[in-house]
Amino acid sequence: MTNTNAFQNGNVSPIIKLENVSKTFGAIEAIKNINLEVEAGKVYSILGPSGSGKSTLLRCINYLEEPEQGRVFIDGEELCGNQKLLNRLRTKTAMVFQQFNLYPHMNIRENLTIALRIVKKMDKVQANQIAEAQLAKVGILDKADAYPSQLSGGQQQRAAIARALAMEPEIMLFDEPTSALDPEMIKEVLDVMLLLANEGMTMLVVTHEMGFARAASDQIIFMDAGQVLEQANAETFFTASHNTRVKTFLSQIISRS
Amino acid sequence: MSHLNLQAAEKSASAFEVKPNKSIKQSNFPYWLVGLILLIALTFALVLSGGNFSDAFYFIREGLTITILTTLAAFSIAMVIGLITSLGRISTNVFARNLATFYVELIRGIPVLVLIFFIALVGVPSLIDGLGKLADSLGAWGAPLRGLRNDSIPMQSRAIIALSITFGAYLSETFRAGIQSVPKGQMEAARSQGLSYGQAMRHIILPQAFRNILPAIGNEFISLLKDSSLVSVLAVRDITQLARLYSGRTFQFRESYLTLSVLYLSITLILSSLVKFTEKRSRRDQH
Ligand SMILES: Nc1ncnc2c1ncn2[C@@H]1O[C@H](COP(=O)(O)OP(=O)(O)OP(=O)(O)O)[C@@H](O)[C@H]1O
Ligand SMILES: [Mg+2]
Repeated sequence: MTNTNAFQNGNVSPIIKLENVSKTFGAIEAIKNINLEVEAGKVYSILGPSGSGKSTLLRCINYLEEPEQGRVFIDGEELCGNQKLLNRLRTKTAMVFQQFNLYPHMNIRENLTIALRIVKKMDKVQANQIAEAQLAKVGILDKADAYPSQLSGGQQQRAAIARALAMEPEIMLFDEPTSALDPEMIKEVLDVMLLLANEGMTMLVVTHEMGFARAASDQIIFMDAGQVLEQANAETFFTASHNTRVKTFLSQIISRS
Repeated sequence: MSHLNLQAAEKSASAFEVKPNKSIKQSNFPYWLVGLILLIALTFALVLSGGNFSDAFYFIREGLTITILTTLAAFSIAMVIGLITSLGRISTNVFARNLATFYVELIRGIPVLVLIFFIALVGVPSLIDGLGKLADSLGAWGAPLRGLRNDSIPMQSRAIIALSITFGAYLSETFRAGIQSVPKGQMEAARSQGLSYGQAMRHIILPQAFRNILPAIGNEFISLLKDSSLVSVLAVRDITQLARLYSGRTFQFRESYLTLSVLYLSITLILSSLVKFTEKRSRRDQH
Protein backbone atom coordinates (compact mmCIF):
# COMPACT_ATOMS: atom_id res chain seq x y z
CA MET A 1 0.00 0.00 0.00
CA THR A 2 2.98 2.31 0.31
CA ASN A 3 3.04 4.27 -2.91
CA THR A 4 6.21 5.96 -3.88
CA ASN A 5 5.47 9.19 -5.59
CA ALA A 6 7.12 12.40 -6.49
CA PHE A 7 5.67 14.20 -3.52
CA GLN A 8 7.12 11.95 -0.85
CA ASN A 9 10.65 12.21 -2.16
CA GLY A 10 10.92 15.88 -1.37
CA ASN A 11 11.41 16.76 2.27
CA VAL A 12 8.80 19.48 2.64
CA SER A 13 5.99 17.71 0.77
CA PRO A 14 2.75 18.14 2.73
CA ILE A 15 0.93 15.02 3.89
CA ILE A 16 -2.38 16.79 3.29
CA LYS A 17 -2.91 19.50 0.74
CA LEU A 18 -6.10 21.43 0.01
CA GLU A 19 -6.33 23.58 -3.11
CA ASN A 20 -9.18 26.08 -3.41
CA VAL A 21 -11.64 23.78 -1.67
CA SER A 22 -15.24 24.97 -1.41
CA LYS A 23 -18.36 23.29 -0.10
CA THR A 24 -21.90 24.64 -0.07
CA PHE A 25 -25.08 23.33 1.52
CA GLY A 26 -27.91 24.85 -0.47
CA ALA A 27 -27.40 28.57 -0.09
CA ILE A 28 -24.88 28.22 2.77
CA GLU A 29 -21.21 28.39 1.84
CA ALA A 30 -19.77 26.21 4.58
CA ILE A 31 -16.16 26.63 3.41
CA LYS A 32 -14.85 28.90 0.67
CA ASN A 33 -11.63 28.58 -1.27
CA ILE A 34 -9.61 26.91 1.44
CA ASN A 35 -5.91 26.43 0.80
CA LEU A 36 -4.06 24.42 3.38
CA GLU A 37 -0.90 22.38 3.69
CA VAL A 38 -0.37 19.98 6.56
CA GLU A 39 3.11 18.77 7.39
CA ALA A 40 3.67 15.25 8.64
CA GLY A 41 4.26 14.87 12.37
CA LYS A 42 2.73 18.18 13.36
CA VAL A 43 -0.35 19.04 15.37
CA TYR A 44 -2.85 21.58 14.04
CA SER A 45 -5.69 22.95 16.11
CA ILE A 46 -8.61 24.39 14.19
CA LEU A 47 -10.38 27.10 16.13
CA GLY A 48 -13.25 29.38 15.30
CA PRO A 49 -16.81 30.30 16.17
CA SER A 50 -19.73 27.92 15.70
CA GLY A 51 -20.77 27.50 12.08
CA SER A 52 -17.45 28.73 10.73
CA GLY A 53 -16.89 25.53 8.74
CA LYS A 54 -14.43 23.65 10.98
CA SER A 55 -16.26 20.34 10.80
CA THR A 56 -16.86 20.71 7.09
CA LEU A 57 -13.16 21.25 6.49
CA LEU A 58 -12.28 18.11 8.43
CA ARG A 59 -15.01 16.08 6.72
CA CYS A 60 -13.77 17.13 3.28
CA ILE A 61 -10.35 15.70 4.14
CA ASN A 62 -11.80 12.25 4.53
CA TYR A 63 -14.49 12.76 1.95
CA LEU A 64 -17.47 12.43 4.25
CA GLU A 65 -18.37 15.62 2.40
CA GLU A 66 -17.55 15.87 -1.27
CA PRO A 67 -16.18 19.33 -2.07
CA GLU A 68 -17.88 21.11 -4.94
CA GLN A 69 -14.69 22.80 -5.98
CA GLY A 70 -11.01 22.40 -5.44
CA ARG A 71 -8.78 19.40 -4.86
CA VAL A 72 -7.72 17.45 -1.78
CA PHE A 73 -4.49 15.47 -1.74
CA ILE A 74 -3.45 12.86 0.80
CA ASP A 75 0.19 11.82 0.47
CA GLY A 76 0.17 13.39 -2.98
CA GLU A 77 -2.79 11.34 -4.21
CA GLU A 78 -5.94 13.20 -5.09
CA LEU A 79 -9.20 12.25 -3.39
CA CYS A 80 -11.98 11.71 -5.90
CA GLY A 81 -15.17 9.76 -6.50
CA ASN A 82 -13.29 6.55 -7.38
CA GLN A 83 -14.51 4.28 -4.58
CA LYS A 84 -11.50 1.98 -4.53
CA LEU A 85 -8.98 4.80 -4.28
CA LEU A 86 -11.24 6.57 -1.81
CA ASN A 87 -11.48 3.59 0.54
CA ARG A 88 -7.72 3.15 0.40
CA LEU A 89 -6.96 6.81 1.07
CA ARG A 90 -9.51 6.82 3.88
CA THR A 91 -7.45 4.24 5.73
CA LYS A 92 -4.63 6.79 5.86
CA THR A 93 -6.79 9.20 7.79
CA ALA A 94 -8.82 8.28 10.86
CA MET A 95 -11.66 10.32 12.25
CA VAL A 96 -12.70 10.75 15.87
CA PHE A 97 -16.20 12.16 16.26
CA GLN A 98 -17.85 14.32 18.87
CA GLN A 99 -20.48 11.64 19.50
CA PHE A 100 -17.91 8.79 19.53
CA ASN A 101 -19.95 6.77 16.99
CA LEU A 102 -18.88 3.44 18.40
CA TYR A 103 -20.83 0.50 16.97
CA PRO A 104 -23.35 -0.26 19.74
CA HIS A 105 -24.07 -3.85 18.65
CA MET A 106 -20.46 -4.92 19.02
CA ASN A 107 -18.24 -5.14 22.05
CA ILE A 108 -15.19 -2.89 22.25
CA ARG A 109 -12.82 -5.51 20.87
CA GLU A 110 -15.08 -6.06 17.84
CA ASN A 111 -15.39 -2.30 17.40
CA LEU A 112 -11.63 -2.20 16.97
CA THR A 113 -11.24 -5.30 14.81
CA ILE A 114 -14.14 -5.05 12.36
CA ALA A 115 -12.40 -2.70 9.92
CA LEU A 116 -9.08 -4.49 10.32
CA ARG A 117 -10.74 -7.72 9.30
CA ILE A 118 -12.87 -6.33 6.47
CA VAL A 119 -10.70 -3.58 5.04
CA LYS A 120 -7.24 -4.90 5.87
CA LYS A 121 -8.34 -8.55 5.60
CA MET A 122 -6.50 -9.56 8.76
CA ASP A 123 -7.16 -12.82 10.53
CA LYS A 124 -8.84 -12.79 13.91
CA VAL A 125 -5.73 -13.45 15.99
CA GLN A 126 -3.70 -10.68 14.42
CA ALA A 127 -6.58 -8.19 14.59
CA ASN A 128 -7.20 -9.00 18.25
CA GLN A 129 -3.53 -8.43 19.04
CA ILE A 130 -3.61 -4.98 17.48
CA ALA A 131 -6.90 -4.18 19.21
CA GLU A 132 -5.58 -5.15 22.61
CA ALA A 133 -2.37 -3.18 22.14
CA GLN A 134 -4.36 -0.05 21.29
CA LEU A 135 -6.81 -0.55 24.15
CA ALA A 136 -3.87 -0.88 26.52
CA LYS A 137 -2.43 2.31 25.12
CA VAL A 138 -5.57 4.32 25.90
CA GLY A 139 -5.92 2.55 29.25
CA ILE A 140 -9.13 0.52 28.80
CA LEU A 141 -7.88 -2.97 28.03
CA ASP A 142 -10.11 -4.25 30.84
CA LYS A 143 -13.16 -3.06 28.85
CA ALA A 144 -12.42 -5.16 25.76
CA ASP A 145 -15.45 -7.39 26.28
CA ALA A 146 -17.84 -4.65 27.39
CA TYR A 147 -20.39 -3.02 25.09
CA PRO A 148 -20.13 0.72 24.40
CA SER A 149 -23.24 1.48 26.47
CA GLN A 150 -21.52 0.00 29.51
CA LEU A 151 -18.68 2.56 29.32
CA SER A 152 -18.51 6.12 30.58
CA GLY A 153 -18.32 8.91 28.01
CA GLY A 154 -14.60 9.34 28.52
CA GLN A 155 -14.00 5.61 28.13
CA GLN A 156 -16.13 5.54 25.00
CA GLN A 157 -14.14 8.33 23.42
CA ARG A 158 -10.88 6.63 24.35
CA ALA A 159 -12.22 3.45 22.76
CA ALA A 160 -13.08 5.47 19.65
CA ILE A 161 -9.53 6.82 19.55
CA ALA A 162 -8.17 3.30 19.95
CA ARG A 163 -10.44 2.17 17.10
CA ALA A 164 -9.00 4.92 14.93
CA LEU A 165 -5.42 4.05 15.92
CA ALA A 166 -5.93 0.36 15.20
CA MET A 167 -6.06 1.18 11.49
CA GLU A 168 -2.54 2.62 11.79
CA PRO A 169 -3.46 5.89 10.13
CA GLU A 170 -0.93 8.50 9.09
CA ILE A 171 -3.24 11.32 10.10
CA MET A 172 -5.74 11.63 12.94
CA LEU A 173 -8.71 13.95 12.52
CA PHE A 174 -10.54 14.99 15.70
CA ASP A 175 -13.87 16.84 15.53
CA GLU A 176 -14.53 18.32 18.98
CA PRO A 177 -13.60 15.07 20.73
CA THR A 178 -14.36 16.38 24.21
CA SER A 179 -17.43 18.52 23.56
CA ALA A 180 -19.93 15.80 24.44
CA LEU A 181 -18.13 14.84 27.65
CA ASP A 182 -18.85 15.69 31.26
CA PRO A 183 -16.13 18.06 32.55
CA GLU A 184 -14.49 15.44 34.76
CA MET A 185 -13.89 13.16 31.76
CA ILE A 186 -12.32 15.69 29.45
CA LYS A 187 -8.83 15.32 30.88
CA GLU A 188 -8.53 11.57 30.35
CA VAL A 189 -9.27 12.07 26.64
CA LEU A 190 -6.97 15.08 26.24
CA ASP A 191 -4.19 13.09 27.94
CA VAL A 192 -4.47 10.39 25.31
CA MET A 193 -4.35 13.03 22.58
CA LEU A 194 -1.26 14.62 24.13
CA LEU A 195 0.37 11.21 24.21
CA LEU A 196 -0.26 10.83 20.48
CA ALA A 197 1.02 14.32 19.77
CA ASN A 198 4.23 13.54 21.64
CA GLU A 199 4.66 10.36 19.61
CA GLY A 200 4.74 12.45 16.46
CA MET A 201 1.28 11.65 15.08
CA THR A 202 0.00 14.11 12.49
CA MET A 203 -3.16 15.56 14.00
CA LEU A 204 -5.88 17.97 12.97
CA VAL A 205 -7.99 18.87 15.96
CA VAL A 206 -11.17 20.94 15.98
CA THR A 207 -11.50 21.97 19.59
CA HIS A 208 -12.75 24.53 22.04
CA GLU A 209 -10.13 23.47 24.61
CA MET A 210 -7.78 26.42 24.47
CA GLY A 211 -5.41 24.93 27.03
CA PHE A 212 -4.92 21.87 24.85
CA ALA A 213 -4.61 23.93 21.67
CA ARG A 214 -1.91 26.07 23.20
CA ALA A 215 0.02 23.25 24.84
CA ALA A 216 -0.13 20.63 22.10
CA SER A 217 -0.35 22.45 18.77
CA ASP A 218 2.43 23.39 16.41
CA GLN A 219 0.03 25.48 14.40
CA ILE A 220 -3.32 27.13 15.01
CA ILE A 221 -5.75 27.51 12.13
CA PHE A 222 -8.39 30.10 12.84
CA MET A 223 -11.56 29.91 10.77
CA ASP A 224 -14.37 32.37 10.38
CA ALA A 225 -17.30 32.33 7.95
CA GLY A 226 -15.90 29.43 5.93
CA GLN A 227 -12.43 30.87 5.47
CA VAL A 228 -9.05 30.51 7.14
CA LEU A 229 -8.49 33.94 8.67
CA GLU A 230 -5.20 33.24 10.31
CA GLN A 231 -2.63 30.50 10.57
CA ALA A 232 0.20 30.88 13.05
CA ASN A 233 2.18 28.95 15.59
CA ALA A 234 0.42 28.54 18.91
CA GLU A 235 2.44 31.05 20.93
CA THR A 236 2.09 33.81 18.32
CA PHE A 237 -1.59 33.13 17.90
CA PHE A 238 -2.48 33.35 21.56
CA THR A 239 -0.23 36.25 22.51
CA ALA A 240 0.53 38.34 19.46
CA SER A 241 -2.33 38.12 16.97
CA HIS A 242 -3.34 41.48 15.52
CA ASN A 243 -6.47 40.20 13.87
CA THR A 244 -9.51 41.77 15.53
CA ARG A 245 -11.70 38.72 14.86
CA VAL A 246 -9.15 36.53 16.58
CA LYS A 247 -8.97 38.92 19.53
CA THR A 248 -12.75 39.00 19.95
CA PHE A 249 -12.91 35.21 19.69
CA LEU A 250 -10.21 34.73 22.30
CA SER A 251 -11.72 37.25 24.71
CA GLN A 252 -15.12 35.55 24.39
CA ILE A 253 -13.61 32.14 25.05
CA ILE A 254 -11.72 33.40 28.08
CA SER A 255 -14.73 35.22 29.53
CA ARG A 256 -16.80 32.03 29.05
CA SER A 257 -14.43 29.79 30.97
CA MET B 1 -70.52 -15.25 8.78
CA SER B 2 -71.42 -13.33 11.90
CA HIS B 3 -73.91 -15.85 13.32
CA LEU B 4 -71.21 -18.49 13.22
CA ASN B 5 -69.20 -16.71 15.84
CA LEU B 6 -72.17 -16.32 18.12
CA GLN B 7 -71.43 -19.42 20.05
CA ALA B 8 -67.88 -18.33 20.51
CA ALA B 9 -69.05 -15.02 21.84
CA GLU B 10 -71.42 -16.68 24.29
CA LYS B 11 -68.72 -18.98 25.48
CA SER B 12 -66.30 -16.17 26.18
CA ALA B 13 -68.85 -13.74 27.52
CA SER B 14 -68.22 -14.65 31.13
CA ALA B 15 -64.53 -13.96 30.75
CA PHE B 16 -65.07 -10.54 29.22
CA GLU B 17 -67.55 -9.42 31.84
CA VAL B 18 -65.15 -9.72 34.73
CA LYS B 19 -64.99 -6.24 36.24
CA PRO B 20 -61.42 -5.04 36.74
CA ASN B 21 -60.65 -4.50 40.37
CA LYS B 22 -59.60 -1.01 41.51
CA SER B 23 -56.23 -2.11 42.84
CA ILE B 24 -53.41 -1.38 40.38
CA LYS B 25 -52.05 -4.89 40.28
CA GLN B 26 -55.41 -6.42 39.41
CA SER B 27 -56.36 -3.74 36.91
CA ASN B 28 -53.23 -4.57 34.93
CA PHE B 29 -54.10 -8.24 34.82
CA PRO B 30 -54.61 -9.40 31.19
CA TYR B 31 -58.24 -10.53 31.51
CA TRP B 32 -58.55 -10.35 27.74
CA LEU B 33 -55.89 -13.02 27.43
CA VAL B 34 -57.71 -15.28 29.85
CA GLY B 35 -60.80 -14.74 27.72
CA LEU B 36 -59.02 -15.73 24.53
CA ILE B 37 -57.41 -18.77 26.12
CA LEU B 38 -60.77 -19.82 27.50
CA LEU B 39 -62.30 -19.51 24.05
CA ILE B 40 -59.55 -21.67 22.58
CA ALA B 41 -59.79 -24.20 25.43
CA LEU B 42 -63.55 -24.53 25.09
CA THR B 43 -63.32 -25.09 21.36
CA PHE B 44 -60.67 -27.75 21.79
CA ALA B 45 -62.79 -29.33 24.51
CA LEU B 46 -65.57 -29.61 21.93
CA VAL B 47 -63.12 -31.12 19.46
CA LEU B 48 -61.85 -33.67 21.97
CA SER B 49 -65.34 -34.67 23.07
CA GLY B 50 -65.78 -36.18 19.60
CA GLY B 51 -68.78 -35.73 17.31
CA ASN B 52 -69.18 -33.05 14.65
CA PHE B 53 -66.49 -30.71 15.96
CA SER B 54 -64.01 -33.52 16.02
CA ASP B 55 -64.74 -34.48 12.41
CA ALA B 56 -64.46 -30.86 11.25
CA PHE B 57 -61.18 -30.40 13.10
CA TYR B 58 -59.51 -33.49 11.70
CA PHE B 59 -60.57 -32.57 8.19
CA ILE B 60 -59.37 -28.99 8.39
CA ARG B 61 -56.15 -29.90 10.19
CA GLU B 62 -54.85 -31.53 7.00
CA GLY B 63 -54.44 -28.04 5.55
CA LEU B 64 -52.05 -26.85 8.26
CA THR B 65 -48.97 -28.03 6.36
CA ILE B 66 -49.93 -25.99 3.32
CA THR B 67 -50.85 -22.94 5.39
CA ILE B 68 -47.52 -23.04 7.22
CA LEU B 69 -45.42 -23.86 4.16
CA THR B 70 -47.08 -21.12 2.13
CA THR B 71 -46.50 -18.62 4.90
CA LEU B 72 -42.86 -19.59 5.49
CA ALA B 73 -41.97 -19.70 1.79
CA ALA B 74 -43.70 -16.42 0.98
CA PHE B 75 -42.19 -14.73 4.03
CA SER B 76 -38.64 -15.82 3.19
CA ILE B 77 -38.94 -14.52 -0.36
CA ALA B 78 -40.68 -11.35 0.85
CA MET B 79 -37.80 -10.65 3.28
CA VAL B 80 -35.31 -10.76 0.39
CA ILE B 81 -37.52 -8.60 -1.85
CA GLY B 82 -38.18 -6.23 1.03
CA LEU B 83 -34.49 -5.83 1.88
CA ILE B 84 -33.45 -5.18 -1.72
CA THR B 85 -36.36 -2.77 -2.24
CA SER B 86 -35.58 -0.83 0.93
CA LEU B 87 -31.98 -0.40 -0.24
CA GLY B 88 -33.36 0.88 -3.52
CA ARG B 89 -35.64 3.34 -1.77
CA ILE B 90 -32.77 4.93 0.18
CA SER B 91 -30.38 4.78 -2.77
CA THR B 92 -28.97 7.95 -4.28
CA ASN B 93 -29.43 6.38 -7.71
CA VAL B 94 -32.47 8.04 -9.26
CA PHE B 95 -33.47 5.01 -11.31
CA ALA B 96 -33.21 2.53 -8.42
CA ARG B 97 -35.07 4.84 -6.07
CA ASN B 98 -37.95 5.49 -8.46
CA LEU B 99 -38.25 1.86 -9.47
CA ALA B 100 -38.43 0.79 -5.82
CA THR B 101 -40.95 3.49 -4.94
CA PHE B 102 -43.07 2.61 -8.00
CA TYR B 103 -43.26 -1.01 -6.86
CA VAL B 104 -44.08 -0.19 -3.24
CA GLU B 105 -46.77 2.38 -4.03
CA LEU B 106 -48.29 0.15 -6.71
CA ILE B 107 -48.66 -2.78 -4.32
CA ARG B 108 -49.83 -0.70 -1.38
CA GLY B 109 -52.62 0.79 -3.46
CA ILE B 110 -54.24 -2.54 -4.32
CA PRO B 111 -56.06 -4.92 -1.94
CA VAL B 112 -54.24 -8.18 -1.20
CA LEU B 113 -57.14 -10.26 -2.51
CA VAL B 114 -57.09 -8.44 -5.84
CA LEU B 115 -53.31 -8.80 -6.06
CA ILE B 116 -53.61 -12.53 -5.53
CA PHE B 117 -56.14 -12.83 -8.36
CA PHE B 118 -54.11 -10.58 -10.62
CA ILE B 119 -50.70 -12.12 -10.07
CA ALA B 120 -51.89 -15.73 -10.18
CA LEU B 121 -54.36 -15.41 -13.05
CA VAL B 122 -52.85 -12.60 -15.15
CA GLY B 123 -49.25 -11.98 -14.08
CA VAL B 124 -47.90 -15.51 -14.07
CA PRO B 125 -49.66 -16.60 -17.32
CA SER B 126 -48.42 -13.48 -19.12
CA LEU B 127 -44.91 -14.19 -17.92
CA ILE B 128 -45.10 -17.76 -19.18
CA ASP B 129 -46.45 -16.47 -22.48
CA GLY B 130 -43.61 -13.98 -22.75
CA LEU B 131 -41.00 -16.59 -21.96
CA GLY B 132 -42.54 -18.88 -24.56
CA LYS B 133 -42.27 -16.19 -27.21
CA LEU B 134 -38.73 -15.49 -26.12
CA ALA B 135 -37.92 -19.20 -26.45
CA ASP B 136 -39.31 -19.21 -30.01
CA SER B 137 -37.30 -16.18 -31.02
CA LEU B 138 -34.14 -17.70 -29.57
CA GLY B 139 -34.46 -20.77 -31.77
CA ALA B 140 -32.29 -23.65 -30.56
CA TRP B 141 -31.05 -21.62 -27.59
CA GLY B 142 -34.56 -21.31 -26.21
CA ALA B 143 -35.06 -25.06 -25.84
CA PRO B 144 -34.97 -25.16 -22.02
CA LEU B 145 -37.76 -22.57 -21.87
CA ARG B 146 -39.99 -24.25 -24.42
CA GLY B 147 -41.36 -26.80 -21.99
CA LEU B 148 -43.10 -24.08 -19.95
CA ARG B 149 -46.86 -24.22 -20.22
CA ASN B 150 -49.52 -22.42 -18.32
CA ASP B 151 -50.17 -25.44 -16.14
CA SER B 152 -46.52 -26.04 -15.30
CA ILE B 153 -46.72 -23.57 -12.40
CA PRO B 154 -49.26 -24.88 -9.87
CA MET B 155 -51.65 -22.61 -8.03
CA GLN B 156 -49.82 -23.11 -4.75
CA SER B 157 -46.63 -21.66 -6.25
CA ARG B 158 -48.59 -18.78 -7.76
CA ALA B 159 -50.11 -18.09 -4.36
CA ILE B 160 -46.62 -17.98 -2.85
CA ILE B 161 -45.41 -15.66 -5.62
CA ALA B 162 -48.39 -13.34 -5.08
CA LEU B 163 -47.95 -13.18 -1.30
CA SER B 164 -44.18 -12.66 -1.66
CA ILE B 165 -44.63 -9.75 -4.03
CA THR B 166 -47.28 -8.21 -1.78
CA PHE B 167 -45.45 -8.58 1.50
CA GLY B 168 -42.10 -7.72 -0.09
CA ALA B 169 -43.51 -4.23 -0.58
CA TYR B 170 -44.84 -4.05 2.98
CA LEU B 171 -41.59 -5.35 4.48
CA SER B 172 -39.50 -2.89 2.47
CA GLU B 173 -41.20 -0.08 4.38
CA THR B 174 -40.37 -1.80 7.66
CA PHE B 175 -36.75 -2.26 6.61
CA ARG B 176 -36.50 1.34 5.45
CA ALA B 177 -37.76 2.60 8.79
CA GLY B 178 -35.22 0.36 10.52
CA ILE B 179 -32.30 1.58 8.43
CA GLN B 180 -33.31 5.18 8.99
CA SER B 181 -33.54 4.59 12.74
CA VAL B 182 -29.76 4.04 12.85
CA PRO B 183 -27.95 7.35 13.51
CA LYS B 184 -26.10 8.87 10.54
CA GLY B 185 -22.85 8.82 12.50
CA GLN B 186 -22.71 5.03 12.24
CA MET B 187 -22.41 5.08 8.45
CA GLU B 188 -19.92 7.94 8.68
CA ALA B 189 -17.74 6.11 11.19
CA ALA B 190 -17.75 2.98 9.04
CA ARG B 191 -17.02 4.84 5.79
CA SER B 192 -14.25 6.85 7.45
CA GLN B 193 -12.62 3.54 8.41
CA GLY B 194 -12.49 2.55 4.76
CA LEU B 195 -15.50 0.22 4.62
CA SER B 196 -17.43 0.43 1.35
CA TYR B 197 -21.11 1.42 1.40
CA GLY B 198 -22.14 -2.21 1.03
CA GLN B 199 -19.80 -3.43 3.77
CA ALA B 200 -20.99 -0.70 6.12
CA MET B 201 -24.62 -1.64 5.40
CA ARG B 202 -24.02 -5.33 5.96
CA HIS B 203 -21.84 -5.19 9.08
CA ILE B 204 -22.81 -1.93 10.81
CA ILE B 205 -26.22 -0.58 9.71
CA LEU B 206 -28.36 -3.63 8.97
CA PRO B 207 -27.61 -5.54 12.20
CA GLN B 208 -28.71 -2.51 14.22
CA ALA B 209 -31.68 -1.83 11.95
CA PHE B 210 -32.77 -5.46 12.14
CA ARG B 211 -32.65 -5.44 15.91
CA ASN B 212 -34.76 -2.30 16.03
CA ILE B 213 -37.46 -3.70 13.76
CA LEU B 214 -37.56 -7.31 14.93
CA PRO B 215 -40.99 -6.85 16.58
CA ALA B 216 -42.34 -5.13 13.46
CA ILE B 217 -41.06 -7.99 11.31
CA GLY B 218 -42.77 -10.44 13.65
CA ASN B 219 -46.04 -8.57 13.23
CA GLU B 220 -45.67 -8.68 9.45
CA PHE B 221 -45.20 -12.43 9.71
CA ILE B 222 -48.45 -12.70 11.65
CA SER B 223 -50.24 -10.56 9.05
CA LEU B 224 -48.89 -12.79 6.29
CA LEU B 225 -50.05 -15.91 8.11
CA LYS B 226 -53.56 -14.51 8.35
CA ASP B 227 -53.58 -13.24 4.77
CA SER B 228 -52.43 -16.65 3.57
CA SER B 229 -56.09 -17.62 4.08
CA LEU B 230 -56.82 -15.60 0.93
CA VAL B 231 -55.04 -18.17 -1.22
CA SER B 232 -58.11 -20.34 -0.77
CA VAL B 233 -59.64 -18.32 -3.61
CA LEU B 234 -57.13 -20.10 -5.86
CA ALA B 235 -58.37 -23.46 -4.51
CA VAL B 236 -55.07 -24.01 -2.72
CA ARG B 237 -55.91 -26.54 -0.02
CA ASP B 238 -54.91 -24.54 3.05
CA ILE B 239 -56.98 -24.67 6.26
CA THR B 240 -59.39 -22.01 5.02
CA GLN B 241 -60.04 -23.86 1.77
CA LEU B 242 -60.57 -27.11 3.65
CA ALA B 243 -63.03 -25.40 6.00
CA ARG B 244 -64.91 -24.10 2.96
CA LEU B 245 -64.96 -27.53 1.39
CA TYR B 246 -66.03 -29.24 4.60
CA SER B 247 -68.80 -26.80 5.43
CA GLY B 248 -70.05 -26.87 1.83
CA ARG B 249 -70.27 -30.61 1.93
CA THR B 250 -71.74 -31.11 5.42
CA PHE B 251 -73.50 -27.77 5.98
CA GLN B 252 -71.83 -27.67 9.41
CA PHE B 253 -70.86 -24.04 9.09
CA ARG B 254 -70.60 -23.39 12.80
CA GLU B 255 -68.30 -26.35 13.44
CA SER B 256 -66.10 -25.58 10.42
CA TYR B 257 -65.60 -21.88 10.90
CA LEU B 258 -65.34 -21.91 14.68
CA THR B 259 -62.63 -24.55 14.42
CA LEU B 260 -60.93 -22.60 11.63
CA SER B 261 -61.02 -19.32 13.54
CA VAL B 262 -59.66 -20.89 16.69
CA LEU B 263 -56.87 -22.56 14.73
CA TYR B 264 -55.69 -19.18 13.38
CA LEU B 265 -56.20 -17.58 16.77
CA SER B 266 -54.05 -20.15 18.59
CA ILE B 267 -51.19 -19.77 16.14
CA THR B 268 -51.27 -15.97 16.08
CA LEU B 269 -51.59 -15.76 19.86
CA ILE B 270 -48.47 -17.88 20.31
CA LEU B 271 -46.60 -15.87 17.68
CA SER B 272 -47.59 -12.50 19.10
CA SER B 273 -46.47 -13.48 22.59
CA LEU B 274 -43.15 -14.49 21.03
CA VAL B 275 -42.96 -11.05 19.41
CA LYS B 276 -43.72 -9.36 22.72
CA PHE B 277 -41.05 -11.45 24.40
CA THR B 278 -38.35 -10.49 21.89
CA GLU B 279 -39.51 -6.88 22.14
CA LYS B 280 -39.02 -6.89 25.89
CA ARG B 281 -35.69 -8.62 25.65
CA SER B 282 -34.29 -6.31 23.00
CA ARG B 283 -35.40 -3.34 25.10
CA ARG B 284 -33.66 -4.85 28.11
CA ASP B 285 -30.28 -5.50 26.52
CA GLN B 286 -30.28 -2.47 24.29
CA HIS B 287 -26.57 -1.89 23.95
N1 LIG C 1 -25.23 18.61 6.29
C1 LIG C 1 -25.46 19.95 6.30
N2 LIG C 1 -26.58 20.45 5.72
C2 LIG C 1 -26.81 21.78 5.69
N3 LIG C 1 -25.98 22.70 6.22
C3 LIG C 1 -24.87 22.26 6.82
C4 LIG C 1 -24.55 20.87 6.89
N4 LIG C 1 -23.37 20.74 7.54
C5 LIG C 1 -22.99 22.00 7.85
N5 LIG C 1 -23.86 22.92 7.42
C6 LIG C 1 -23.75 24.37 7.55
O1 LIG C 1 -22.46 24.75 7.12
C7 LIG C 1 -21.93 25.72 7.98
C8 LIG C 1 -20.62 25.25 8.56
O2 LIG C 1 -20.89 24.13 9.41
P1 LIG C 1 -19.78 23.36 10.24
O3 LIG C 1 -20.49 22.23 10.91
O4 LIG C 1 -18.66 23.03 9.35
O5 LIG C 1 -19.35 24.45 11.30
P2 LIG C 1 -18.47 24.25 12.61
O6 LIG C 1 -17.44 25.29 12.54
O7 LIG C 1 -18.04 22.85 12.73
O8 LIG C 1 -19.50 24.62 13.75
P3 LIG C 1 -19.62 24.01 15.23
O9 LIG C 1 -18.54 24.65 16.06
O10 LIG C 1 -20.98 24.45 15.67
O11 LIG C 1 -19.49 22.54 15.13
C9 LIG C 1 -22.97 26.00 9.03
O12 LIG C 1 -23.68 27.17 8.67
C10 LIG C 1 -23.88 24.81 8.99
O13 LIG C 1 -25.18 25.17 9.31
MG1 LIG D 1 -18.51 21.27 14.06
